[in-house]
Amino acid sequence: MAMLSMPGQTGTLRGPRTTELMFLVSAGLLTSGAFALAAMANREGTPAKVLPFLGLVLLLLGSAHVIVRRLAPNAEPTLLPIVGLLNGLGYVMIARLDQNFAARQSVWTLVGLVAFTLTLLVVPSIRRFADYRYLLALAGIVLLLLPLMPFIGVTIRGARIWISLHFFTIQPGEFAKVVLTMFLAGYLVDKRELLTVSTRRFAGVNIPDLRHFAPLLGALGIAILVMVAERDLGSSLLFFTLFVVMMYLATSRVAYVLGGLVSFAIGSAIAYQIFGHVRRRVSAWLFAFDDPNDTGFQVVEASFAMADGGLIGTGIGEGTPTVIPVVTTDMIFAAIGEEFGLIGAAGILVAFLLFIGAGFRVALEASDPFEKLVAGGLTALLGFQVIVIVGGVVRLLPLTGVTLPFVSYGGSSLVANYVILAILIRISDSASRDQDQGGNDLTMHGTL
Amino acid sequence: MIDRSLRRVLVVLIAGFAVLMVQVSRIQVIQAEDLRNNPDNGRSILRDFNSPRGSIVTADGVVVAVSDELVGSVFDYQRSYPEGDLYAHVAGYYSFNLGATGVEKAYNDWLSGRAAALRLSGLNTLLGGAGEPGTVVLSVRHDLQEQAAELLAGRSGSVVMIEPATGAVLALYSSPTYDPNLLASHDGVAAVTASQELLDAPGNPRRPAAYADRFFPGSSFKIVTAAAALEHPDVGPIDVAPTVEYFAPLASRAIRNSGQRACGGSIDDMIASSCNTGFAQLAAERIGPEAMVEMAENFGFNDNVPLDIAGATAGVFPEDFGEKLRDAEDGNTVGVFADSPVLAQAALGQNNVSASPLQMALVAATVANGGERNSPHVVQEVRRLDGTTAHSVPTDLVNRPIEPETSVALRRAMQIAVEDGTASGLQMAGIEVGAKTGTAQLGQDVVGAHAWVVGFAGKPGFAPDVAFAVHVAADPQFPDSSGSRTAVPIARALLSEFFAES
Repeated sequence: MAMLSMPGQTGTLRGPRTTELMFLVSAGLLTSGAFALAAMANREGTPAKVLPFLGLVLLLLGSAHVIVRRLAPNAEPTLLPIVGLLNGLGYVMIARLDQNFAARQSVWTLVGLVAFTLTLLVVPSIRRFADYRYLLALAGIVLLLLPLMPFIGVTIRGARIWISLHFFTIQPGEFAKVVLTMFLAGYLVDKRELLTVSTRRFAGVNIPDLRHFAPLLGALGIAILVMVAERDLGSSLLFFTLFVVMMYLATSRVAYVLGGLVSFAIGSAIAYQIFGHVRRRVSAWLFAFDDPNDTGFQVVEASFAMADGGLIGTGIGEGTPTVIPVVTTDMIFAAIGEEFGLIGAAGILVAFLLFIGAGFRVALEASDPFEKLVAGGLTALLGFQVIVIVGGVVRLLPLTGVTLPFVSYGGSSLVANYVILAILIRISDSASRDQDQGGNDLTMHGTL
Repeated sequence: MIDRSLRRVLVVLIAGFAVLMVQVSRIQVIQAEDLRNNPDNGRSILRDFNSPRGSIVTADGVVVAVSDELVGSVFDYQRSYPEGDLYAHVAGYYSFNLGATGVEKAYNDWLSGRAAALRLSGLNTLLGGAGEPGTVVLSVRHDLQEQAAELLAGRSGSVVMIEPATGAVLALYSSPTYDPNLLASHDGVAAVTASQELLDAPGNPRRPAAYADRFFPGSSFKIVTAAAALEHPDVGPIDVAPTVEYFAPLASRAIRNSGQRACGGSIDDMIASSCNTGFAQLAAERIGPEAMVEMAENFGFNDNVPLDIAGATAGVFPEDFGEKLRDAEDGNTVGVFADSPVLAQAALGQNNVSASPLQMALVAATVANGGERNSPHVVQEVRRLDGTTAHSVPTDLVNRPIEPETSVALRRAMQIAVEDGTASGLQMAGIEVGAKTGTAQLGQDVVGAHAWVVGFAGKPGFAPDVAFAVHVAADPQFPDSSGSRTAVPIARALLSEFFAES
């Protein structure tokens, strides 16, 4: 483990779980402090109703620590506290924006923690999933197709990516992303030699045997087609990025990235020609300020909100972020920018960077290539998701409806992201156990 | 091999986050000011209507405007005006649908807590929030305001009272007026309908006649003419031969005195008797166009009145009296101009001369203040929630239209007008009052006249405590209106109230 390789830090008796607990307590204190400020600012005293739910969220994060201590004691210690901070601050923001959402979000956090625990409990090792890669591909496609089914599929804000289960709706696509990442990792580990070796030359470029691409391109094609049919621009973009990143991770060949970019350009051009909603999104992005009351309204209001926040923010509860449409999910970053200022917005981005750094450290330390690809792929997926949604909010990219992981309101996203966290923690724990068994016992060396 | 790729993907992600960070900084800091000032940005208005807003209270502590908390509404607060129409022309209104006027507009930064002096204090500011709202304290006194409304008794007219030494406005009331609660309603349809009804109503109740409307000042303007005569280097001792009528050079019609009497004499005599022929002759033959225009403009005519709330209209005095046709001759020391007859009338506050009641009150205040003209202001100070003063409106000297000796002479003349002249109705035991009445006919064939009285009052031997202008608009239903009969009793009652409570 990285931290144990540094003698200065390991000269104490502090194990990774103690470190994790200390970070987690800090995250809990920050969350409670933000909540207290929101409660002071709120003139109607509404947070009193959501206070028990805050307690629930903090309790859940605490129990997550206990679960990790039991089920994955040697795992990376910063992943869980960072998630705790993001989830906690996101929760306070949601509570401040809409108290009904706050109650539901705390229930979703509970479900997320159950999924997190079950993943750790049921899956003692991620490696075994590599054998079920085609089953995973099938599961992923089914999950993607579910919203297109009659009766259960529902369309919200133009995108048909939800299924309705009477009391609540879920977005199966969020889970499909995780499953398909594991399929890609499994397939690529199996075939990466073949994908790297060129068997023929075409137009001066060495090209590997096309047969090996078939399942990949098939999965990609179906996934993209389904997402296009569901009008889920954000997920198509993310899934495509994930595909390219996984190919690159497995083969180290820049040609795949270039090929990906070219086909992305072509695909985008076609989508722009065919779909009116794509054109609207693009013009709302490029010419937002030309039509600030209609197509550009959402992003222009987001910029106005963030400008109001300035360097230090209006203070939580003191701004007017509720004028931004869809502020609890897609646009929550703008609300954070308004009320916590540049400092808060940058803080959230830094927290994500730390998470991404920790996730990649897990991938680097994993000994198994499948685990490397899964950890790297899932972390990259999460990282690019942040870039896609924050980039959309700040007008660097067209706005696409994806969540800000762990921060936005949204059950499926939160639960799926907790599963990702569990997978990363499981891989990390396995990696350090591998190192221990290999006789290279840095823990013993460091602490004694 | 995978490790190397992992590191590169991480670098790409970090680069992506760096770009995000740059753009977030641009929006929140570098472009923030431009975005906040973007005309499409309605957030500041929205924020204001969702934040507590400071109250407006009178000098004697009566609440004029207050924000009531709303529950379950689009907005968190509703502005209300407990005194109804009494302060509409001072406090104005604060409406989501119609904007803001009066103190609500001019002191918005203080009321909303955005002013720097309010942001520096308070816990909210430390946490990045807006400052606490400030309480705006008017210099206007509730008792005087109520008296003014009662005394005007529904007639169109205005009352302005000013503290000469500071420019603080003690009373500012005009009738007709309106209830700002109607316009402040968050119900857009109700507010706009009420607004339209007020615009269609007779007398345009929304326009504050006291400072936003102009009327012929009539004889009350003779204070300015007298000042021009006293200040003029060539006029010398004034002793105008009494006449019944006066023909200005080139004039085909005579200027006569009220009651067809003969008058003249010194400035004291002519102010006391409101002598038309004498002042007309002085202006046309001794003072001349240049000095008359200069004195009128020294008193603030042809320039915006520097009131601290918007909308104060400039008084008008003609600037051009035509070509000089003949040089000085005989008693005429200034020559004959193409519009000398107009000048003779303008000297009496007629023809093209017009002024708001506030403007005339300022003329009196300047005379009462030793010739120093202060900016009038309706707000005295802004207080923080803890009662400390965050901002105190300073006395702002605009200019010195007349020398102190001139002001002493004018005060004496106006006091004589009260002791033994047209303003004798203002005599009060133990109080020294000086005033000049005015009765401005709308025309030869129109019934009714604007009734004016402008003046000052104070304890004998001291600088006057208050200057005032009372204007009652011409109304065919009251054909006998005059300065002495109509305006003077109102001023008298107001002064009684003023000195009873002071």
